[in-house]
Amino acid sequence: MALEFDTSEIEYMSYSGEHHLPLIMNLVDQELSEPYSIFTYRYFVYLWPNLSFLAFHKGKCVGTVVCKMGDHRHTFRGYIAMLVVLNSYRGRGIATELVSRSIKVMMESGCEEVTLEAEVTNKGALALYGRLGFIRAKRLFRYYLNGVDAFRLKLLFPRPEPDYSDSIKSVADESEEHGDGMPPEERIIQ
Amino acid sequence: MLLAPGLPQPPWGDSSRAPHDPDALLTPLIMDPKMDSGIVSTYYSVDEAIENGAAPIPLNFDRTSDIQCVIDIMDHFLACEATWHKGGSLAQTVYSCIYLLRPERTSSHALLHSFCRVIRATCSALVSAVSDARTNEVNFTSGLKILRYQSLLLFFRSILAWLSVREEDLFTMAYGLPLKANGDEKCLSMIHAVDETLCRQLKACSAPVSEKAVLEDIEPLQTHLDLEEDFCKAVLCRIRFRKHFYHVLTCLRKPQGRGLELAKKHIISCLSELDSMLNTEEFLRHNSACGTVKNEDEKTTASGCQPVGFDSTLNSRSAAPTPPRAIKLLSWKKAVNYFQKLLHDLGVICSYPLDPVFEGAMRFVVDIQKFQPDLVARAHIQSYVMQWILMRIANEQLLLVQDGKLYGRESLFAVICKAALLPEGAKNHDIQKNESVQQLGQLLITLFRVLCANTAWQRRKLGKILQDWRIIYVQLELAFRKVFGEAASTPVEQDLLLRVCKHILIWVEEQTYWIALRFLMLGFELDLYSTDEYCMVYWYIYIYLIKLAEKTHLKIMLSNDSSRRKSKKKKDFVKDVGKDYQVPPVVQLIQCYIYVAQGLMMMLASLRNENKIFLCQGPFNSEHERFVQHFEVLQKACLPDHASFFSFSETVANIRFSTVSMHNCFKDAQKIAKDLRGGFANNPDRLAELRRIEQVAEHNHVALNLLCRLGSLEPSLKVSFDFIHHPHFATASVKRS
Repeated sequence: MALEFDTSEIEYMSYSGEHHLPLIMNLVDQELSEPYSIFTYRYFVYLWPNLSFLAFHKGKCVGTVVCKMGDHRHTFRGYIAMLVVLNSYRGRGIATELVSRSIKVMMESGCEEVTLEAEVTNKGALALYGRLGFIRAKRLFRYYLNGVDAFRLKLLFPRPEPDYSDSIKSVADESEEHGDGMPPEERIIQ
Repeated sequence: MLLAPGLPQPPWGDSSRAPHDPDALLTPLIMDPKMDSGIVSTYYSVDEAIENGAAPIPLNFDRTSDIQCVIDIMDHFLACEATWHKGGSLAQTVYSCIYLLRPERTSSHALLHSFCRVIRATCSALVSAVSDARTNEVNFTSGLKILRYQSLLLFFRSILAWLSVREEDLFTMAYGLPLKANGDEKCLSMIHAVDETLCRQLKACSAPVSEKAVLEDIEPLQTHLDLEEDFCKAVLCRIRFRKHFYHVLTCLRKPQGRGLELAKKHIISCLSELDSMLNTEEFLRHNSACGTVKNEDEKTTASGCQPVGFDSTLNSRSAAPTPPRAIKLLSWKKAVNYFQKLLHDLGVICSYPLDPVFEGAMRFVVDIQKFQPDLVARAHIQSYVMQWILMRIANEQLLLVQDGKLYGRESLFAVICKAALLPEGAKNHDIQKNESVQQLGQLLITLFRVLCANTAWQRRKLGKILQDWRIIYVQLELAFRKVFGEAASTPVEQDLLLRVCKHILIWVEEQTYWIALRFLMLGFELDLYSTDEYCMVYWYIYIYLIKLAEKTHLKIMLSNDSSRRKSKKKKDFVKDVGKDYQVPPVVQLIQCYIYVAQGLMMMLASLRNENKIFLCQGPFNSEHERFVQHFEVLQKACLPDHASFFSFSETVANIRFSTVSMHNCFKDAQKIAKDLRGGFANNPDRLAELRRIEQVAEHNHVALNLLCRLGSLEPSLKVSFDFIHHPHFATASVKRS
């Protein structure tokens, strides 16, 4: 049953130490279908603490997101490992805010794309990520232990347009230095 | 916690200064039940389980209870087998049976012993079938003699390297399990003997009083004579199902001759026995020792009782490579349903003639995916198709001999020539020795293999091989030019060479567009697109359909052109060309699809432009990035050259409802579909397809008219696109929410 609260009462915090780890573990163990050992959690939060966020309501941890980023086949990529919000707090944008914060950090850190897997039956998650711009890149046959398929979701960040103006200027400068005698417009056009 | 050098340190810096938090320094959770729920076991070995009475022989000293227990074991085997087929490990399912793990123990119990033997033989046959399909060794390990086949072997080995671990690899894992026991080859004769005994017992209990004296020496199956008939029938249908199922598998291994006919007969018998098994459920439940079952959906036996002699944790150490996890078995009812479906799918394979033309074979592998065949059925489809291909790749120099019979009077090049609508004589042309032409043959084999796989994997591979088909086109073009330039030949020979080259190139283009279309269409089946993305998907489909129609039509016209030139004099030929020309039905069907795709693209574009719905917007990226991601493989293959996000944007930017209604796409599609009914009168599949397309066109036409009349949409009105009439072409509906 949904709880009555004002979304402004939700506080968001970046992962800041071991004291946050049991809060994350309890939430994930309670709400997600796949079991993880403590090593799994530590792997993420120790190496990428700036990518994990927690949501609190009046001191109670009600949501969390755990992520990582790194090189994957010559692409610098972010990965959303776990996202969970307590049942009674769902539908109020908490998950969207948690994920958006992680994605922003990934974008600022130079990631080219973000990816995650979600069960094909998880309509809520698929709608959330769809609104954020993720596409369903692949379907993974019987991905989960319970035999359910998964979608690999991917968000591609816009690639910056190459800025040719500086390079044209530098080519023009170079040829003036070397004095090759060609008119400037002919030097620019390769 | 120790971290590898070079990795970022924990938040508190050096691990030696970690907080002394006992929770943080928890002992490793290797035995955490949530993580490793399969490792907690009752017994540490099979022998310990046996010593503790986990698998008694006899199962019960009361003969009625003994038979009830045996029936429960038979039913539980079915549930285990279905779970194995659906992705469970053999070790945790079928081979969780202690009686199966120690075959020598059951020799005193004829019924259980013979049943276990046929189960083992069936599992062994299935592992072989799936393994052979996976490695394509079916014809190489069954005594086939092929001369000068090294290049093909090398090709298949490269396929093995290319293919990553798949579900088939998990299916066939049987480390340390006794897949074969001495005497299993006699399983059918043993089960037949048991069948005969049961028949006599059944006859004895149902005989009239006058005959009972004659049959007095036949010992009944169990002690309650009033239940004898039902128990006999319950056991009979179960052992007969196993017998027939084993026959199905052995017949399918020999599709030549009467193999498929016999398999079909056994499939029918299997289905009949499954129905009989379902009919015994009520009797077994009412006469069970365990009382009422709480959860009907979880029971793995018809009676609802737990079977004796099964422990899924016994093989935890041999259930590699994953750590042992507890698995959920399919219920008995679901297992019966699974086998009914499997037998149906195998029946479809058996009904398909072994000697089809290329298009027929392609349509077969594509159409059979509609039934969503599971792993076992798909393995048989693949083996069947590979057999068909291998039978065709032998030519006069390479003799294909299997079991003493000679096969293969045609080459793969001949298959390509036929598919490209070349005349009969073209199949002997020397161009087939060209390396690029041989590579084309290999690509064709790869395409068939990909089409036999599950649709998720299939789509990924279709995207990857698309570039190979583009490259082969370029290579063929270059190779043909070189051959044409070098060959010193007569005008007749040159003309034939030109025709062969032209036909093959057009056919390669046609297949390439077909692959690209299949890639896009499978996206709908796999639910990979959101409604916001339908506009760009239909735009691409529209472009490819136009290209496909063009190439198919060209191929047919070239072929008709050649035949007419042969049979007519020049003046008659010129007169005939324009006269009463009918667009071939297959091209008209593609035209029908073109109109529907165009209509959908335009309708969606209008909704975006006028009503601002189905827009691809997000806080982190735009429609451009979504386009790039979805169509990356198509863009890489430059298929076609000018297709890009910008050409898509330009196409849809100014489309309005007024434009759409002028084009009348859906009406045109309906008209073509109606006219085509005559052309496909003898083809029920095509007629069904036409009906589906007509419904899509009709409903979309109505929705479009409504949207045009409405103009702007009230907030209470919702437009949705669903696949209620056709799996690839959406039907629009406007509803008040």
